[in-house]
Amino acid sequence: MYVYASFDYSAFLELAITDLEKRGIAREHILAVPLDKRVEERMVMDTIHRADGISLFDGAAVLGAVFMELGVIYGFVLKWGPIAWGLIGLLGGAILGFLLDYFYGRICGHKQAKVTRNQVKAGDNNNTEVVLTVFCKASQYEMVEKVLWDNMAFGVGKLDRLRSSIRKGTANHGKEATRIDKE
Amino acid sequence: MEKKQNISIRNQRRPKGIVSPISINFIHLRKPWVVAWWGASYLGYAYTSMGSYVKGFIFIFLEALINVQAKLNLGILYTFTGRFELAKQVVDTNWMLFYAPIYLFSIWEGHRLSVDLNKYCILAEREASTMIPFAVSSSEIGFLDKRKPWIAVALSCLAPGLGHLYTHRIQTSYYILIWWMIMAYMGHLFQCVHLTAVGDFAGAIAVTDPEWLIFLPSIYLFTIYDVYVKTVEYNRLFEQEQERFLNDNYQSKDFPMP
Repeated sequence: MYVYASFDYSAFLELAITDLEKRGIAREHILAVPLDKRVEERMVMDTIHRADGISLFDGAAVLGAVFMELGVIYGFVLKWGPIAWGLIGLLGGAILGFLLDYFYGRICGHKQAKVTRNQVKAGDNNNTEVVLTVFCKASQYEMVEKVLWDNMAFGVGKLDRLRSSIRKGTANHGKEATRIDKE
Repeated sequence: MEKKQNISIRNQRRPKGIVSPISINFIHLRKPWVVAWWGASYLGYAYTSMGSYVKGFIFIFLEALINVQAKLNLGILYTFTGRFELAKQVVDTNWMLFYAPIYLFSIWEGHRLSVDLNKYCILAEREASTMIPFAVSSSEIGFLDKRKPWIAVALSCLAPGLGHLYTHRIQTSYYILIWWMIMAYMGHLFQCVHLTAVGDFAGAIAVTDPEWLIFLPSIYLFTIYDVYVKTVEYNRLFEQEQERFLNDNYQSKDFPMP
C-alpha cells in the first residue's frame, strides 16, 4: 500500500525519512518530490516558508538610514536633540522608501494580473513544500503513519489498492461508473 | 549514507556556500545599487554584506580611524547646519585626504563585486553542488537550519549584532556588537536617550559627542538590513540543499509506482 504525506523543508522531514528507513522501509520505497510553489506576489516581510528576495525592504532600509543620519545631524541645532530627530528621520525615511519601492514596483516591476485560485485557497497556511510517498506492507501502515505524524507532517493519506487491480481497473467493481450514470 | 553523485553533473566546482563551525558563508543574488549604497554609507559595509569579511572588517576599522582623526563627522555636521567657518577649522586635512580615494573605491568595488558574484550565484544554482549542511569542531557547531527573519530583525533592533548571532555568523556578530558598544559609549548615546526621554532636550544635545554619535545611524540600519536579508537567504539555502538531497536520494528508479 502507499502512504502519502506533505511536509515543509525542515529537519523533521529528514528525521521522518531516516526513522522509516531504520524501521525497515527500504530507501527505494521512499519517494520524495519537492514542489515548486507558485507565489509571485511581493510581500512586506518574507516568512520562514516563503522568500522571494524582492520584498519591500531595500528602499525602506536605505532611505531610513539616510534620513536618520540627517535627523541626527540637524537634531543638534533643532530643539528636540539628535535622538528624537534621528528616530523621526528613521520613521519618515523608512515609510518614504517603502512607498517608493511599492509604487515603483507597481509601475515598473513585474505585474501581477490576478491572484490565482490556488493562492486564494492556500493563503498563509500553505506550507507544503515536499510530498512524500512511502510504499509499505499493510501491516506496516500504522507504524509509518505514526512516524509521519510524529514528525510534523501536515497531512497523511493512504492508498491501499493493489497495483495490479488498479491497472486492470477492477478494484472498485465498477461502482463509480454506475453512480455517475444515475446522476 | 548519501550515495555518490554523478560526477559530470555534480562536479562541485561552484558551490553556493560553505557551512563552517564559525559561520555559514554563501553567495546570493544582490541588487548592485543597494550594495554600492552600503559601501557609501560606511566603508566596508559593501564587503561585509557580501560575506567578504577580512576586507570588510579592515575597512570598518579604517573608517573609524580616519573619520575620528580627521573629525570628518564634525565637519559634516557643521557643513550641513551652515556653519562653514567652524567646519573648515575642525577638519584635520592631514587625515582628511586619505578618505576620498578609499571611499570611492569602496562604492565602486561594492557594485563591481556584487555584479560578479551574481553571475556565480546563478551558476551555483544551476550546478546544484553538494553542500555539507553540518559542521562541528572542538570549539563550535555550525549548521543550516530555518530561522525566523522577524526575530533576527527584532534582536538587531535591541542590540546590533545579536541578530547575526541568532543566525550563527559569529565573527560579524561580535565585530558589529563591539563597534556598536564603543561608538555608543564614546558618543554618550544612552545618556542622550535618557535625557531626551525625560524631556531635557538642551541637556541631551550638550551631553553627546557628535563625532561618534553620527556613526550610529548607519551601523544600526545596516545591521538590521543585513541580518534580515541573510536570514531570508539562509532559509532558502536550507531548502535548496534539502531539495537537492531528496532529489538525489529519494527518487529511486526502483520505486514501485502505483
